[in-house]
Amino acid sequence: MSPSRLPRLALAAIALLLARHAWADDDDANALMLADQVDSTVAQRSDWRSFIEGSAGYSHWRNGNNRRDSQRLSLDTQYDHSLSPAWRLFVADRLDIGWPSQNGNPHGINTLKEAYLNWRAQPETLLDAGRVNVRNGVATGYNPTDYFRRGAVRSPVSISPASLKENRQGSVMLRGQQLWDGGSLTALYSPELDDRPSSDGFSLNPGATNYRDRWLLSLSQKISSDYTPQLLFYQEAGRNAQLGFNLTRLINDSTVAYLEWSGGRRQPELAQALQQYQPGCACKAWRNQLATGATYTSPNKQSLTVEYHYNGAALDREQWDALRHGYLPAYAQYRNWTAAAQDSPTQQALFFYASWQDALLQHLDANLMHNVDLADHSRRLWFELRYHPGHVDYVIQWQRNSGEALSHFGAMPEAQSWQAQVRYYF
Amino acid sequence: MKRLKTAALFALALACGTLPAWAARSPQEILIASDAVRNPDFPFGLTNTLVEYRKGKETDRSTLAIYSRADPNGGQFRSLVRYTAPLRDANKLILFNGKDMWFFDPSSKASIRLSPQQRLLGQASNGDVVTVNFAKDYQATAAVEEDTQDGDRQTRHCYKLTINASTDAATYAQITMWVDAATTRPVKARFFSDSGKLLKTAYYRHYQPIFGVERPTETVIIDGLEPDWVTVMRYSDWVKRDVPETWLQRDYLPRFKPE
Repeated sequence: MSPSRLPRLALAAIALLLARHAWADDDDANALMLADQVDSTVAQRSDWRSFIEGSAGYSHWRNGNNRRDSQRLSLDTQYDHSLSPAWRLFVADRLDIGWPSQNGNPHGINTLKEAYLNWRAQPETLLDAGRVNVRNGVATGYNPTDYFRRGAVRSPVSISPASLKENRQGSVMLRGQQLWDGGSLTALYSPELDDRPSSDGFSLNPGATNYRDRWLLSLSQKISSDYTPQLLFYQEAGRNAQLGFNLTRLINDSTVAYLEWSGGRRQPELAQALQQYQPGCACKAWRNQLATGATYTSPNKQSLTVEYHYNGAALDREQWDALRHGYLPAYAQYRNWTAAAQDSPTQQALFFYASWQDALLQHLDANLMHNVDLADHSRRLWFELRYHPGHVDYVIQWQRNSGEALSHFGAMPEAQSWQAQVRYYF
Repeated sequence: MKRLKTAALFALALACGTLPAWAARSPQEILIASDAVRNPDFPFGLTNTLVEYRKGKETDRSTLAIYSRADPNGGQFRSLVRYTAPLRDANKLILFNGKDMWFFDPSSKASIRLSPQQRLLGQASNGDVVTVNFAKDYQATAAVEEDTQDGDRQTRHCYKLTINASTDAATYAQITMWVDAATTRPVKARFFSDSGKLLKTAYYRHYQPIFGVERPTETVIIDGLEPDWVTVMRYSDWVKRDVPETWLQRDYLPRFKPE
C-alpha cells in the first residue's frame, strides 16, 4: 500500500464512523417515533382463563399396520377469585370429548381438577379446603416426590410432561401452610372417600385420588443464597412412611442442576400390582426412587434437559425379561398399575427434553422429547411444533414408539402417531 | 501551595458559574441519584405493559403486574412478576430474588428454577422488566459532561457515565448512561456485552410525578443488532404496597394473587 493512500483511507474510515453514528441516531429517532404511536390501553386482570381445543390425528398400529383416526374436543377453564382480602376461591375444570373412545373410557370425560377455598388466617398462615392439585418435585420427566400423582391423570391427551401435569385431578384435602422469611412448612391431610375410581365420565371420581387416608409434611428452608432444600414426609394409611428430598443448584449462569429423591420401606410395585395373586407378600424393603439432571439454556432461547431416572420399586432387567416372557395377564396388570402410578415399569431410564422458543420464526416453539428405557432399550420419541401468534395456538405433534414386543415402549399399540391441534384462549 | 491551587481552581469554577463534575458528585453518586429517580425507596407495585415492534409493526404485547421490594441486606430489588396478558400466559409467575429465580405455572403447579441466562432471553428481557438498582451491581468509573438528545428529542445537558459490572449479579458487562446534569434523571443508556457489542439502547422518558417525584413512566428499548426491533415498556397503576419478605420464596408462588 502506498503511503499516499493512507490519509484517504483514514478519511474514509472517519466518514464511515460518522455515518454509522448518524445511522444510530436515525435508528433511535425512528424507534422513538414508533413508540409515540403505542396504544396506551392496559389489559385488565381477569379471574377467568379458558381455552377450547380441537384435535384430530391418526396412528399406525403395530398389529397388521392398521391405521386409526381420532378426534377430540376439549374445554378447559380456571377461575381464581378473591372473595375478600382473606378468602379466595379457585376452581379448575376440564371436559374432553373424544372419538373413538380410548381404552374403554366413555366418549366424554369431565375432570374437576381443583375446587377449593383458601383462607389467609394471618399474612403468613394459609389454610385450604377442597380438591387441591398438590404437586411436588423439581425434575421434568419423572417426579418421585409427586406423591399425589397416582390415579390423577384421568384423560391423557398428550404424553408431554406439561400436559400430564396440567390435565389431572387433585385430591380432596385440608392443607395448612406457615411461611417465614426464607422458608415454609406445609401440612395436609387427604381422607379416603372411595376405594376405587369411577367409570362414569361425569363422576367427581373421588376414588381415583382419595382411595386411602394420606398425610404429607413438607419443609423448605433457605440455607444460603443458592440452596433451599425441601424435605418431605409422606404416609398412606397402612403403609410405611416415605421420605422425600428436593434440591436445585446453579452450576453456572446457563445451567441449573437438580436432584429429587424419595425413599422408604415398601413392597415392590409388582407385588402391589398383583396383590390378588400374592396377598400379604412379605417383601417389604427400603427402596429408593430418584430423578436427577440438569437444564442448559443457550443465548438463542434453546434449552436442553438431560435426566437420569431410577425407580428402585420397579423390576430390574432380569425380572422384567421374566415377566414379559411369562404369564401375560400378570404382565398386563403390572403395566396398568405402573401407568396409573405414573412410574416406569423398569428401574432405570434416560430422559431428554429440548426446546427452542421462537425457532426460526417469532412465536414458533419447537419441543423434542426422547425417553430411553435402560432395561430393554425401547425408546419413545416425541416432537411438537407450536405456533402462537395471538389468542390461538396451532400445534402439530408426532410420536414414535420403538422396541421389542412387550418392551416398555415397544408394547404401546401405536407405532407412530400424528396429531394436529388448534387451541383458542378466551 | 497545593491547597492554594485547588482553592484557585474552585474559585475559577465558581466564577464560571459551573462546578466540574468531580467537584460536585462522584460518578457512582450520580448513578445512585439516578437510581433513586427511577425507583421508590419503599415496597411498591406497578403494571408494566410491553409492546414489541418489528420492522414497524406491532408483533407482541404483554402486561405484567410487578411487586418489588429492596433486599434489606444488599439493597437490590427482589420482584414478583405475574402475567396479566396475553391470555395463554395469564397468571404465570416469575420470582426474581438475585440468582434464585423461579417460574411457576398455576395450570401445572410446576415450579421451575431458572438460570441467569434465562433472565437475559428476549429483547425486553426478563431482567429488564423488573426493578433494578444499577448502583448495587455496577460501578460508575467516569462522568463527562455532554449534550444529548433525550427520548422526547430535546437536547439535555447530561453526565455521560461509564459503568462497569461489579458483581456476578450484573446482567450486562458495561453500560454507558446519560444522566441529566441538573435533575439526575436517567435520559438514555446503552448496554454492552463482554466483547463490547452493543446489546440494546434504552430511553427513559414521559416523566410524571409518581409518589412525589418526577419518574420515567416509559422505557423505549432498541435492539443493538436489529434497530427495527423496538420494545416499549409503559408503567402504570403505581401503588405503594407492602411486599412481605415471606412472599419472596418458591413455596409462596402458588399462593400469590395481586390485590
